[in-house]
Amino acid sequence: MEILDYIGAIFSLSNLTVLFFATAAGLILGALPGLSPTMAVALLIPFTFQMDAATGLVLLGAVYTATVAGGAISGILVNIPGAPANIATVLDGHPMAKQGKATQALHFCFISSFVGGIIGVLVLIFFTPPLAQLALKFGPSEMFWMAIVGVTVIGTLGSKSVIKGLFSGALGLWISTIGISPIFGESRFVFTDHLTGGVHIVVALIGLFAVPQIYQLLVTSRQDSSGGLFAMESSPLWSSIKYNLSRVKALTIGTISGVVVGIIPGAGGQIAGLVAYDQVRKFSPDASKFGNGEPDGVIAAESANNAMVGPSLVPLLTLGIPGSPTAAVLLGGLLINGLFPGPDLFTVHAEVTWTFIGSLLLAQVFMIIIGLALSRSSSYWVMRVPSQYMAAAVTVLAVFGTYSIQNSYSDVVLMLVLGSLMYLLNKYGFSAAPIVLGIILGPIAEDNFSMGKMIADVGDGALAYFLTGSINLVLIFVCVVSIGYSVWVEVKQRRQVAQDQKRSAPGTRVAAVGAVVAAAVVMTMVMSADDSQAYDFPFLLAILMATFAVMLLIDVLRMWKREKSGPGLVEWSDLGAGIVIIVAYLLLLQSAGFYLASWLAFTAIVVFYSGTKNRAQLTRILWVSIGFMVVIYGLFNLSLRVVTPGLL
Amino acid sequence: MILKKIKSSLITAAATSMLLVPSTTVLADDYPSAPIQVAVAYGPGGATDFQARIVTMMAGKEKYLNMPMVIFNKPGAGGQKGWNWYASDASKDGHQLAAYNVPHFIAQSLKFDTSYNTGNLEPIANWGADPAVLIVPADSPFNSATDLVAWSKANPGKLTVSGAGLYVGHHIASLQLDKAADISTKYIPAGGGVAAMKMVLGSQVMAGFNNLSDAFRQGDRIKILAVADNQREQGFLPDVPTFKEQGIEIDDSSVNFRGIMARKGTPPEVIEFLAERVHLMFQDAKVAGKMKAGGSPMRIMTRAEVQQMWVERQAYLTELLSDL
Repeated sequence: MEILDYIGAIFSLSNLTVLFFATAAGLILGALPGLSPTMAVALLIPFTFQMDAATGLVLLGAVYTATVAGGAISGILVNIPGAPANIATVLDGHPMAKQGKATQALHFCFISSFVGGIIGVLVLIFFTPPLAQLALKFGPSEMFWMAIVGVTVIGTLGSKSVIKGLFSGALGLWISTIGISPIFGESRFVFTDHLTGGVHIVVALIGLFAVPQIYQLLVTSRQDSSGGLFAMESSPLWSSIKYNLSRVKALTIGTISGVVVGIIPGAGGQIAGLVAYDQVRKFSPDASKFGNGEPDGVIAAESANNAMVGPSLVPLLTLGIPGSPTAAVLLGGLLINGLFPGPDLFTVHAEVTWTFIGSLLLAQVFMIIIGLALSRSSSYWVMRVPSQYMAAAVTVLAVFGTYSIQNSYSDVVLMLVLGSLMYLLNKYGFSAAPIVLGIILGPIAEDNFSMGKMIADVGDGALAYFLTGSINLVLIFVCVVSIGYSVWVEVKQRRQVAQDQKRSAPGTRVAAVGAVVAAAVVMTMVMSADDSQAYDFPFLLAILMATFAVMLLIDVLRMWKREKSGPGLVEWSDLGAGIVIIVAYLLLLQSAGFYLASWLAFTAIVVFYSGTKNRAQLTRILWVSIGFMVVIYGLFNLSLRVVTPGLL
Repeated sequence: MILKKIKSSLITAAATSMLLVPSTTVLADDYPSAPIQVAVAYGPGGATDFQARIVTMMAGKEKYLNMPMVIFNKPGAGGQKGWNWYASDASKDGHQLAAYNVPHFIAQSLKFDTSYNTGNLEPIANWGADPAVLIVPADSPFNSATDLVAWSKANPGKLTVSGAGLYVGHHIASLQLDKAADISTKYIPAGGGVAAMKMVLGSQVMAGFNNLSDAFRQGDRIKILAVADNQREQGFLPDVPTFKEQGIEIDDSSVNFRGIMARKGTPPEVIEFLAERVHLMFQDAKVAGKMKAGGSPMRIMTRAEVQQMWVERQAYLTELLSDL
């Protein structure tokens, strides 16, 4: 146990202070949409220039692990995952919050993150050399199958119908091909200038999750006189801990999924939570509880995404190959301090390296203490914010968060357009999680398929290349089992519903026709494009989309006359004012400056969606809006140095 | 009342702010009046990003720019995304600069429909030069570039070579190798330098071109067979021969030059000010120390030197890529 030699350095006062502040800052940064762990770590690297090597790395490592956990806070409380890693947490975390169990959900989140995080770092300490060798065995063919394993998860995520889930996943994969092809360098599907850069994953994440939530909050504030407040159940910490630790199966599945995904370089850790969620759901005797506030969903997802952190450092520390985008940024932090990945790290620089790893372990302790301490008060405060204020705040945060990713106005436009479409899609039974997963997995699947094909062309051919090798075979086996299981569940569920009671939900017809139209549009674009290798993968996706769309249509045609009648799905009368304000906000952003436009939008939303309009209330709204903008200014301009157009 | 007052003062503020929005005719005397943004066309953590962060860290000092430089990333498509944005949408008042990578951006502007080319960008100064090196896995039978060429001659089209992408330095080096040694290799463009390195480490490809600095850090996990430059790299790899020493005529055309540039149309006073101060800033002892610690070779060049280098590269690449 070499690490024990450096226990003094790990527990030094300066180290503990850095850990405390880094963890607290990481939790808060992680909770903001747009500030993914990758960005948080990149932003902090310049600060480490002034520190000694060990302190700088401890800061980066602690922020890394805390932001991953922090992203769950906004996910659970507001239904907006702070980073792609937290998507799976939202699926059951937010329903729990709606049932009044917000505090409990946050407790589970931090306890599971702690368990996963500790085990992840222990894996890093004890199994680094053999795991590094395993990581290298993942070439293009293995990475391609890894992405396909991720795709098979799609059908079970959040959607009520497997076919709708698969269609959404294919749509997400297609969205990922918009922009310049990374391997062939050609522009694809760029029908407006805003799309030249493609759709950034975090932009899509904010749009697809935050914008529908804004509209939902606006409708709630009009329809619900209580202002959309949820009941709060008190939940003693002790009973949360006892329950959480008794869920051994969810914790085990989550942690193992996180460790495995973390080691594989490039899989990105972003899918660890989703893979774990899918597994725990499949192993559960009652899969229907998932998506409706099942604690196991939160436990598996959060233990997985923190278990990923330690192992994602294995290929980084030993080979200089980062296992996740965030680890790639940490590599920069190592190099600046003259620490080259490799055996030297554990011999010549042993003190720095072991202090860093030991501190990661300790960071988990700080994370659970600060997180649990924040759970009750944050859920208490956030859940009490009236819907119209929440909608206004989320709108402004989404705009700033999106802009800060790469200082791009186009990203803001894309975020709002994608999000508004997502609100409609939600109404017709499609969900955001499979689309986002498709956008994440698209480039991994496509790049590795293209590279693998090129390598295979000069070797034994594509079939032999992709279908032999032990890792390939294991991954293919996992795919087949996963798909087979999903189909079996779907068939079983359909049999349970007696034939004569079968009626499709409202909007099913529109959904099916819409899907067919979308697939036809994509197919037309692919067919009319130049004949080039760059369109091979989009062509495959167009076929998939068309297949799923036709399946949806057949399903609907069989029961065309039996659609349940329901009220209009979209509450246009409640949304009108909100949509006008958001469009005006978008137009004003560049001309009037970000801060002035945001202040106007915030105030307008709250004023229009607050019931009474007496003077006292207006004054209060004014002060709240000014206070909110001051916080935004301090955060984005002063701390994060985001330079926005215009002076105000 | 209060409400009205605040409202009217805010409207005044808004009106003034619109007048004050930075226009293209900023007086050079006031420059720089705000932090200077530097766009990096590659992701955070990559070699270009990490070096850009080091070489700009002293910008806030009075003797340099008296304002901090803020790095922001616009990665995608081997740099095309960021540079397209820069050449068409960035401000021309010197408050938005970008990092360049030669030969990448020049080769891309020749082969793809990009909004950038050497004609609409202005070099400021060069900070580094990272030659491409030919690498093979540690257990490879090849021990020199000549071994590799001999095998490829016996097995035409069978030798797989990874690199960071299409029309980046590594690709240029591989095209030069094919031409100089009269062989045909299969170039596999990966999604970045790290991905290309991983394919060599994992023996998924037989060889690769990669950055000298990244290859140097891999130590004995790989074998470095040759440097694609006119002379050996004395600082980090004095023992690795150049291609020329092994009888293969490859010059320094693939060397990855990194530096800072501005948009054409930036006021000449601003460009002159930047050319002088940024060149000085790159020579700061602290910058040199951090770059050395990070294993990154520096090559500081003035604006005039870079202008000449761009012209030479443009001419050479036009010829090399015309056959493709």
